[in-house]
Amino acid sequence: MMRFSTLMKHPADWMTGADTDSAIVLTSRIRLARNITGAPFPGWARKNERIAILPELRDKIETLPEMKDAFSHQLSELSSVQKQVLVERHLISREQAARSEGSAIVVNRDQTLSVMINEEDHLRLQSIRSGLHLREAYQLIANVDKQLEQVLPYAFDHELGYLTACPTNVGTGLRASAMLHLPGLVISDHIGQVIQAVGKLGLAVRGIFGEGTESLGHLFQISNQSTLGESEEDILSRLERVIQQVREQERNARSKLLEEDPQMLADKISRAYGQLKYAYVIDSKEALTHLSLVRLGSDMGCFPKQAMELCDSLLMDIEPAHLQHKAERKLAPEERDTMRAEIIRSRLQSLSSPVINFITS
Amino acid sequence: MQCEHCDNKATVFYTQIIDGIGKKTCLCESCASEQGITDPEGFLLGSQDIQKQGDSSKHKALPKGVPKIEAATDKQPNRCCPGCGFAFDDLKKTGRLGCSECYNFFREEIKNNLGSMHKGTSHAGRVPEGMLQAFKERQELEQLQEKLDAAISSEDYEKAAALRDEMDKISSQETTPPEPTSQP
Repeated sequence: MMRFSTLMKHPADWMTGADTDSAIVLTSRIRLARNITGAPFPGWARKNERIAILPELRDKIETLPEMKDAFSHQLSELSSVQKQVLVERHLISREQAARSEGSAIVVNRDQTLSVMINEEDHLRLQSIRSGLHLREAYQLIANVDKQLEQVLPYAFDHELGYLTACPTNVGTGLRASAMLHLPGLVISDHIGQVIQAVGKLGLAVRGIFGEGTESLGHLFQISNQSTLGESEEDILSRLERVIQQVREQERNARSKLLEEDPQMLADKISRAYGQLKYAYVIDSKEALTHLSLVRLGSDMGCFPKQAMELCDSLLMDIEPAHLQHKAERKLAPEERDTMRAEIIRSRLQSLSSPVINFITS
Repeated sequence: MQCEHCDNKATVFYTQIIDGIGKKTCLCESCASEQGITDPEGFLLGSQDIQKQGDSSKHKALPKGVPKIEAATDKQPNRCCPGCGFAFDDLKKTGRLGCSECYNFFREEIKNNLGSMHKGTSHAGRVPEGMLQAFKERQELEQLQEKLDAAISSEDYEKAAALRDEMDKISSQETTPPEPTSQP
């Protein structure tokens, strides 16, 4: 079985932006909610009922060929920092992190597939890919789903489809989402219009950690809301179309900024680089904002290509639980701000000053 | 005196007499309003007792993004799911159902609330392999039933008879046992 330290040492490809096309769409994610017929949903079940159903579910997940040598733990076996690290890596939900005995997490070796057992539903199957690749992510998860339906009595209704603890997920049980980096739309103040337009199409726009979180580092998550009355294909193609449009809007916003106010853009990118490179105390919010601008600068040719990958790894490594895991102890917020600045300074050593070639005078 | 649901001071006292046996309930203001005590129709000792047995948490705010669920008023309000003891009122508190059987038991109430959340009200996606045949037959039967109702109301009995025969044919196929899909 895979150890926590191994999981930490080898971040998945999608976490470091391995896809060449991840400049605007960082990741695509698919989640399926599945339940076992006749058993109470985890939130309503008594603790002993959750504990009783866990071994069978866990066994079926662990024996999937996709889960060979997987990371598999009950939430009660993990420390609070470890749980939080998994949240920061988007491998478990915040809700799952709050659970303990009777709930488990199984993550495949390359961290593209994770299964939460006894979260809100008996099973939450999740797959993540870098770039805009919703269909590939869906294929992986659909394969797992098809194997599981052979061995587990899924709760399925002829009229309402897959039955889920929350009626907002009933039907396909499918939540597809993508994480987008939209600094151009934020700087040009068009983000509000885009969010509104996307909302009108029945899709949700949220901050990076899903429901109820604010947007940091100009990162936004777009996902489907409706799960009933549409096929998986319809949901995916509608979402994909909208994401492509938003990506296009972001590209337009970036070109327009370049054209209309290159000094402002150069100033923002260069200052962000300077702040990061020379900071000794930096909180998470400030760091994410500056990293976002350096990431933007990398896309605009101010930094070498590797800068984007550097930013994407840093986005994760400077989060509170990742810092505490590295320090091997709990850190007070002030200590985290110091350690965060230290890590950023050392990683930026190799990154030379921005080259601004878009200002023509 | 302490509230029966939480540690707050009880300020609302509710006495109910059923078949001559009185039962007094002491609640704090927030638990009382959660139980709908301001609305005598909505205050249910039945659902209260079930909530106590289950480990659902008190004072839990409805999670963000969960649409408000309204109970159908023409139904008996304190019905509980035979599968898990969940009362429909609990959905208002937690935003979650008790078990898959709840969907059967509260089908109409749930369906009444689905329209605002979803594109449609019936499943159009993937079906587990073992259930595919049954799923198709069931949908076909429902469509035929609609046509049959229309034929009867327009007094086209010839068509109605044909439709009924067609439905009988499907139903008789349905009784053949399906392939077992789940292993031990």
